[in-house]
Amino acid sequence: MDESRKGPRSGSKSIGHVTIADRRQFLIGSAGLLGAAAFGAGTSLGIGRARAQSRAEISFASAAFFGKETFGDLIKAFNGSQDRILVKNIELPPPSSSTEVYQGLVQQLARRTGTPDVFSQDVIWIAGFAAAGWALPLDEYFPADKRSAYFTGTLDACTYGGKLTALPWFMDSGMFYYRKDVLEKHGGKVPESWADMATIAAAAQKAGDIDYGYLWQGKQAEVLVCDAVEIITSNNGAILAPDGKSSLINQKGAVEAIQFLHDTLATNKISPQDVLSWDEEPSRQPFTSGKAMFMRNWSYVYPIAQDAKASQVVDKVGVAPLPSFPGGKSSACLGGYQLGVNANSKQREAAIELLTWLSSTEVQHRIALNFGLAPTRPALFQDAQIKKEQPFMASLEKVFTGATARPITPEYAKVTLALQSGISKALVSGNVQAEMDATAAQIDKIVG
Amino acid sequence: MSAAATIPSVGRPRRLGKALPGALWALLLLTPAFVSLASVSFYPIVNGLYLSLTNTSLITQEQAFTGFSNYAELWGDPQFWNAWWHTIWFTTASTVLETVIGLGMALILCEAFKGRGLVRAAMLVPWAMPTVVTSKMFGWLFDGQNGIINYILLHAGLIDQNVNWYGSTDTAMITIIIADVWKTTPFMALLLLTGLQTVPNSLIEAARMDGAKGWITFWYIRLPLLMPTLLIAGLFRALDAFRVFDLVYVLTGGGPADSTETLSTLSYKVLFSTLQFGYGSAVSTAMFITEGIIALVFCLYLVRQIKRAQ
Repeated sequence: MDESRKGPRSGSKSIGHVTIADRRQFLIGSAGLLGAAAFGAGTSLGIGRARAQSRAEISFASAAFFGKETFGDLIKAFNGSQDRILVKNIELPPPSSSTEVYQGLVQQLARRTGTPDVFSQDVIWIAGFAAAGWALPLDEYFPADKRSAYFTGTLDACTYGGKLTALPWFMDSGMFYYRKDVLEKHGGKVPESWADMATIAAAAQKAGDIDYGYLWQGKQAEVLVCDAVEIITSNNGAILAPDGKSSLINQKGAVEAIQFLHDTLATNKISPQDVLSWDEEPSRQPFTSGKAMFMRNWSYVYPIAQDAKASQVVDKVGVAPLPSFPGGKSSACLGGYQLGVNANSKQREAAIELLTWLSSTEVQHRIALNFGLAPTRPALFQDAQIKKEQPFMASLEKVFTGATARPITPEYAKVTLALQSGISKALVSGNVQAEMDATAAQIDKIVG
Repeated sequence: MSAAATIPSVGRPRRLGKALPGALWALLLLTPAFVSLASVSFYPIVNGLYLSLTNTSLITQEQAFTGFSNYAELWGDPQFWNAWWHTIWFTTASTVLETVIGLGMALILCEAFKGRGLVRAAMLVPWAMPTVVTSKMFGWLFDGQNGIINYILLHAGLIDQNVNWYGSTDTAMITIIIADVWKTTPFMALLLLTGLQTVPNSLIEAARMDGAKGWITFWYIRLPLLMPTLLIAGLFRALDAFRVFDLVYVLTGGGPADSTETLSTLSYKVLFSTLQFGYGSAVSTAMFITEGIIALVFCLYLVRQIKRAQ
């Protein structure tokens, strides 16, 4: 094998010389092969130590998150923890540039060269990567009994066509922020239905206690789909039929829910018109400066609200699951990054080992403490150290239990553009049924 | 050839030139320029055209020749026509405003006054700024809640409540046009200023001697002589405005309700969010064709102007 690899390389000597890069490539290649062999032999024969250069070389690509450490530090820790596998960290742009992260991953995966061996992916890309055949099905490595340790909503998002193609890593979801002090004046009970929420918000607004009753995100962007998924699911509606082949967005459940969002702008006016151009940050600012009573947003808002330098509402903010419609269940849009293995990886065993390590209880614990990213294992929410250092995160178990995946379809990128455009039009014009009919027809064409 | 070159050429300086016929020499010398242009300009265009005739998609991994089906789909795609009209509207409005205001600025800067050099330099600052920075700046200026524009208008009594600049379909596009006018008018002014400086002073002096007032001088002397520059500057600006991307992408993302979607943002979404390279290339090609038509119209006018002048 070594000789056969050497053959074409020395054959290419016609250029005149072998560059250092060539030699390195060759060394890496043969080291990888040796490493895999050593890994197999090492584990079966119990040989603990292999030579340094015989480690299996794999790569890990992820959007760059920061905290007390980076993912590069995590990978270093993995490299130091054993001597069979050497992982190279490929840093992609930060999660705020998720379109660029997506492009970066697609370009690498589409080449089918096996690089990166392990990668992290936003929940909405999972189905697309699986359908393209880029993500290795993980069922044989993680049978049902191993999966029960994760939140079911996250597992659903990691499953495509009945196969587990991603392993849960860390998560976030939409949640309901409220002002404890203002709520105290208006009954003191956190509203559990959307109608109650609207009534309380309108009353507080009328009494002049706050400027805005309820803030959400209506900008024609991905976050609008998140807000919509939450409110539609909480009315027993859905965007796609269970088989993923047709749209239900023009059905009663969904239309009522979008109508409610429109009413917050047009009828009961508990939300300012500006919501239509706001994504997360513009909606967060009035809330943390004390102008609003309720808000839908992600978990990142809480630390800001508790920071006296940036917030007027320190210790006045509470978080609860989002309200629901009568007969529906509170629902939170699932976000976060999940792990996948490249189907073309030449180092499958090593990749699985890294994947297992990254998603393990210990590493999720470390990520929770050092990055502030919430674990996908419910058991960790009872962990004493997490409860002590990240009390807010520990309190979110109930919110995360209701986490709902966005439509699971390989055509998600097209579906979301149609949804953003259609829902935005419905919110602006108020012709909810007509716009949803048009959007449903468009989505049917995409997924049908 | 190298053999020919090494032969001592004393007394025969033209030897090398005669080794190749003149036309061939010219071609040979043009080759590097042609190769570099072809690889960075011609090839991408042709490849784009080819892609637009396929159903290439990175996600589905399809890559088959489908003839004109992408264009048929495009023809019946309301999203595309919506974006097309917005782009035309944006291009027309911003080009006209920038030309008119830019002309005014150029006329002022053409006059001699103290500190003219400084003003000319300062004027270029908006144009030198990266568009993304401009976009963020206008995002804050026109913010619906805390924006200074709303604050000024409200206190001047011109509006009775905050205008929702980016959140309303009525004002979102207008706000983007204002931002573009602020940013690019200096560029127009600069181009027109160079044009104004080519108008011979003797003509203006002669007109003054004949008793022509400022307005008459401008209308009958300066403007006709400025026309070719005006058309070329307008062409530059229109083609550039047609590709508007950063302002829309940063400020509204195409919303609300698709009211600010332009061809560039649409093709970006189709190409890079959904990774449909086939259909996305069809959108880009349609954009390319429209730009070609705009350029053609301007050039016809320009040719007519030049002919009339002769």
